[in-house]
Amino acid sequence: MLPHLINGIALGVLFGLLALGFMLIVGVMEVINLAHGSLFALGAYIAMEIVNPGWLAAPNVGYLGLPLPLRYGLALLLAPLLVGVIGMGLERLVRRTYGKKAEYGLLLTFGAALVLEEGIRIVWGKGEQNMPVPDSVNGSFVVGDLVYSKYRFFASFLGIVFMGLTWAFLERTPYGARVKAGAHDSEMVRALGINISRLRLFVFAFGSGLAAVAGIILTPIWGLRPHVGVDAVIPAFLIIVLGGVGSFWGAVIAGLLVGITVGITGGYAAEWSVMSMYILLILVLSFRARGLMGKKSALEA
Amino acid sequence: MRLARIALALTTLLVLGSACKKKGDGATGADPKPGDKAPIVIGITADASGQYANSGDSDKRGILMAIQEQNAKGGLLGRPIKSVALDTETTPATGSRVAERLVKQEKVAFLVGAMSSGVANAVSQVAQKYGVIYLNTNSSSPSESAENCHRVKFVWDGNGTNFSQAAVKSAIDKFGKRWLLITNDYGWGHDTSNATKKLVTDAGGNIVGEILVPQGTRDFSSVLLKAQQKSPEVIAAAVGGDDVKAMRMQVSQMKLGSKYAWINNQQDWPDVYGLPRTDMFGVFGTTWYQGLDLPGVKDFVARYQKANPDATIKTPGNVFYNGYWATRSLFEAVEKAKTTNSHAVIKELEQLKIPAAVRMQHHDAYMNPKTHQMQQTIYLATANLDSNDPDDLFKILSNTAPDQVIDKDADAKCKLEPFEATPVYEP
Repeated sequence: MLPHLINGIALGVLFGLLALGFMLIVGVMEVINLAHGSLFALGAYIAMEIVNPGWLAAPNVGYLGLPLPLRYGLALLLAPLLVGVIGMGLERLVRRTYGKKAEYGLLLTFGAALVLEEGIRIVWGKGEQNMPVPDSVNGSFVVGDLVYSKYRFFASFLGIVFMGLTWAFLERTPYGARVKAGAHDSEMVRALGINISRLRLFVFAFGSGLAAVAGIILTPIWGLRPHVGVDAVIPAFLIIVLGGVGSFWGAVIAGLLVGITVGITGGYAAEWSVMSMYILLILVLSFRARGLMGKKSALEA
Repeated sequence: MRLARIALALTTLLVLGSACKKKGDGATGADPKPGDKAPIVIGITADASGQYANSGDSDKRGILMAIQEQNAKGGLLGRPIKSVALDTETTPATGSRVAERLVKQEKVAFLVGAMSSGVANAVSQVAQKYGVIYLNTNSSSPSESAENCHRVKFVWDGNGTNFSQAAVKSAIDKFGKRWLLITNDYGWGHDTSNATKKLVTDAGGNIVGEILVPQGTRDFSSVLLKAQQKSPEVIAAAVGGDDVKAMRMQVSQMKLGSKYAWINNQQDWPDVYGLPRTDMFGVFGTTWYQGLDLPGVKDFVARYQKANPDATIKTPGNVFYNGYWATRSLFEAVEKAKTTNSHAVIKELEQLKIPAAVRMQHHDAYMNPKTHQMQQTIYLATANLDSNDPDDLFKILSNTAPDQVIDKDADAKCKLEPFEATPVYEP
């Protein structure tokens, strides 16, 4: 049981990270960003290009002569920034749907997801790609009789770091306070003289950047192919609904719960491992319709 | 506002680019040469999205190359050949809908293409209803030529039992008797693992457990922990599509590829193309490899490259090969029958025999008239660690003649509908 529980927690951190960017955008803008998965994939592809540029032919010379951990670190910094800029462009398009029916935003981001995925196919092709990771975090280690993946625990560690940074930003900076206020009551924030349009632009970029971070960290485990974003967007959506829309801790706790549920089910009834997260969602929503830490709706007040 | 315009322009460019690209490999391929006679339309039922999208693309390319070559020879019975491809989405319900549409609206003469056994089964039920000949090009579930066989359906891939027959006995002798099965939780996975189970126990081996893996699994950590707890000597995996790619990466990360003897049933070329060699641990089966040292192989590779300059996969693999040969053999059967009448063509296909030299395999191939499955050479391979060539991925370990790997259960289970109960179809 213990190995499966530890594995589930490690997996849960990664699920939590996957949902963070999605949570921010839904929370502040009330837009279900169906392009989250494509931004996740795009982040991984851009990072792959930064770590190992295909157009640089000579290995171990010039940029490719730099140590892999350095190039990986650079990718972890630059790829989310670039995807954040693309997220800004997407927000400028989504902006037209604010205050209108929710379906418009949903359809627009769905369309954007298709365009981004096709764009990836055009640039990088349909086939499987390889997201390189430093040798020092690759391979395995043995505890007792069991072999564990080093990278999985490194990925979980990175996940905790990025969650911590996101928390610190939201809770410890004035801008984070504005983001939270924007999520709570955007009209009041606007009335206080804060430029809500700029705030939304920033949040979309930040959420997109977090999607890219999740892509860079998760694709060495899941594999990298143009439609890998589809694998990401469904659990991300499930986790924010489970955790409560717009709640940071809701996303983190829901991610951990899903990870533990999938991990333990995988160990004892693997055929139910994918289904188990949906059963968990049904169970939680049956008793708590707004999710674990979601805001009370007017009907419940 | 300006930024929005730029973004919109970029989006439009991407969409247009995508649309242009689609035109190259899109819905209707291999345009016929102008002529007075009505074209013969081939309905392509390959998966273009979902778990088997990548393999579906290879399958379709194989079918299209056979059509192009036939059109270059003057068409079929003097008629040009057209194709209509619809995405079966790796979903059986979509497969049924697509097959209905191709037959009823597009008036296709034949249905060709399959990756998923669930989809192939669904398409074949529709085909049998109308009497349309259907070529299951690449689904390797044993049930396709056993309990789910049909008079109109012909299966062109080796199946799970064929591959297990080729691998199990020698693996027990070489690696040990304690076997663990990792099985994709759907038709093909179950059928293949059941075949392996029977062969292992018949050969004196012991199944220490079976782990069922749902389709769409991306995280195999729990499965791999559980596998270790079972302490097997051999792990036989019947996992396909994107699932097997994720599994291979994670096994490789945990360095478990060398800890156990891995027997991976069939390994489709599009599933491994582009993977690092370290991810290609274990022994796996295939029906064909582009590095076979046989006459005609180099020419076939060159024809593939000429016909598919846009393909990410630079050399043809088993999936393309099956798509191509199924379609080409169909055309040859039609020419022999001198008609597209479905009963006449079925009778020709049931007698099909192709010499090894023609099919670029080590042994002669033939169609089993009782099960409608192509009996052919089964190869076992492993990763070629001696080469850095991205296309020279496999090292062929053995080739086994079709009669040595025959699926005896299929003969008993397959009950083909009589001709009288199969509608005559002649487009």
